[in-house]
Amino acid sequence: MFPVIDFGPLAIQAAGLLLILSLWLGLWLSGKLAPNLGTNGDTIENGLLMAFLAGILAARIGFLLANPAILVENPLAIISLTPSMLDANFGILAGAIVLLIAFQRKHLPLWPTLDTLSPLLILGFAGAQSANLANGNAYGLPADLPWSVYLWNANRHPVQIYALILTAILFIWWLVKTRLAKQNGFFHSGVLFSIVLAGLAFITLFTQAFVADKRIILGFDQVQWLGLIILAGSLAAIYKLEFTQPKAISAFISMGSNLDPLENLYEGSQDVAAQFKILSRSSIYQTEDTREGHRGEFYLNRVLQIETSLPYPAFHTKLKEIERAHGREPGNREVVPLDLDILTFGKEVFRNAGKQMPDPGIIAHGYISLPLAEITPAFRHPATGEAIDDIISKLPAVEQNVQKLEEVKDGTEG
Amino acid sequence: MQKRTFIAIAALITLVSLTWMALTPLYFPGVQAGSSQAAHQGFQAPDFTLQTPEGLPVTLADYSGQPVLVFLWASWCTVCKATMPDLEPIYQEYAPQGFEILAVNMTAQDTASAAINYFQGQNYSFPMLMDPDGAVARQYQMYAVPTSVLIGPDGIVQNVVIGAGMNAGELRAWLDDVLTAEQGE
Repeated sequence: MFPVIDFGPLAIQAAGLLLILSLWLGLWLSGKLAPNLGTNGDTIENGLLMAFLAGILAARIGFLLANPAILVENPLAIISLTPSMLDANFGILAGAIVLLIAFQRKHLPLWPTLDTLSPLLILGFAGAQSANLANGNAYGLPADLPWSVYLWNANRHPVQIYALILTAILFIWWLVKTRLAKQNGFFHSGVLFSIVLAGLAFITLFTQAFVADKRIILGFDQVQWLGLIILAGSLAAIYKLEFTQPKAISAFISMGSNLDPLENLYEGSQDVAAQFKILSRSSIYQTEDTREGHRGEFYLNRVLQIETSLPYPAFHTKLKEIERAHGREPGNREVVPLDLDILTFGKEVFRNAGKQMPDPGIIAHGYISLPLAEITPAFRHPATGEAIDDIISKLPAVEQNVQKLEEVKDGTEG
Repeated sequence: MQKRTFIAIAALITLVSLTWMALTPLYFPGVQAGSSQAAHQGFQAPDFTLQTPEGLPVTLADYSGQPVLVFLWASWCTVCKATMPDLEPIYQEYAPQGFEILAVNMTAQDTASAAINYFQGQNYSFPMLMDPDGAVARQYQMYAVPTSVLIGPDGIVQNVVIGAGMNAGELRAWLDDVLTAEQGE
């Protein structure tokens, strides 16, 4: 409809501009969400950039392979800046492969990464709709309605306007649910992304009915088929992620104490063992309290790996009960008889209702990461995929000042 | 949300989607673009008759059965003037196989004498057409020069390239495609 925006002598193709603006806004929101969720925004962004460049290059190479005459005539065509001469399928395939390899190499976890990218998905979809609107592609069926648009010699359904209104509703839901990109809003990773995907699939399936140019497969429109398959897949994913619970989840918990610490850690371990199966336990580590007025006082810490079948909120409540049984007063940071923090809960990555998983302390404190590395040297951070050795090496020197007190040889003790 | 509530909602969404999909062919059947005219991929290219500077009438429909490039340009447009010299050798090469270029000057937004001077000075062998009242520009919903409209032998618009995107290599690839397909039939 308005393929070119005139800025004086500059004519800018509106479609490309709208697409780039939306993708930029989506990436910006992903970048806001990443640190709040604990995922590695930079790694994700670099992977996307590499995939984008590889995709463009492959699209050009694919086009030239199909039309070798161009290359024979002018070898420089391979680096020509024209936006045409691109083979989309070849580009998308190469981009996807590069993205997978880039994410795999950095051990990025699937669902948390997808949650981080959920705003990019919404805004990318909106951008593609806006680009179609500007170019007059995927134009609507002829219809005489008060809101019809005149396009290609007929009054038509403004398909992309329908899609953009529905996408705006989905986007507002996303903003509310994530409290403006501050949390993912669920106690399970992947649910946020799956709901967004289901929403976009439904919007596609619904609005595609109004598109004039339809390709029929097995009696129905092929885009609607695609929407239906993605919708069913995402609903199944939401069900699996949010409503089914594995029989046994492995969780790491950190124990700490600065009041009769040795006694409290031993008894605390026994109380935990009374309710949960302990898979392994670290040695006890001593850290000097660095706060002003507390010099010469010490904290003792250890990490336990335990197994539970409880959902996260119930598991969290149980541990808080054990803390209270040891005399812990909530809010009292001076005297800590027993502190029990969940470090990781299966592979879950979330931030919701004031709770965050994995615990940010893993990358902040030596008294957590060092005992964690002792019992699970192959540990990788569930949100970033970073190896525990790398996490420890990035700790500031003061955090490395942690002393191991006693060895646990066989991983069990009386 | 409870598990049961979710299952109920998911089942409802799936049911609504399936119903909608089933109703689409009944209430919103697709309309093939080719039956109507518009300057957009898949439509019949809008027909026009314009005159050359010498006053000879040229009608697009006369080139039915041949691939045609309608190239809308103006003499003040530097991109146009950078593109047109590349078209000439391709025209020379493919004209024997039926390829035609109609270089439609946007005379309503140009100075006729300047346009004619430029075009004749370059010795282009494809015809220049004058659009003095901008009728073709409106008909083709044209927003920027150059605009290249690639029309297949069946009269269907196969691609509309706005601005500098159109280049010799791509045009050649398109012609090879179109002409091979025609021979195959």
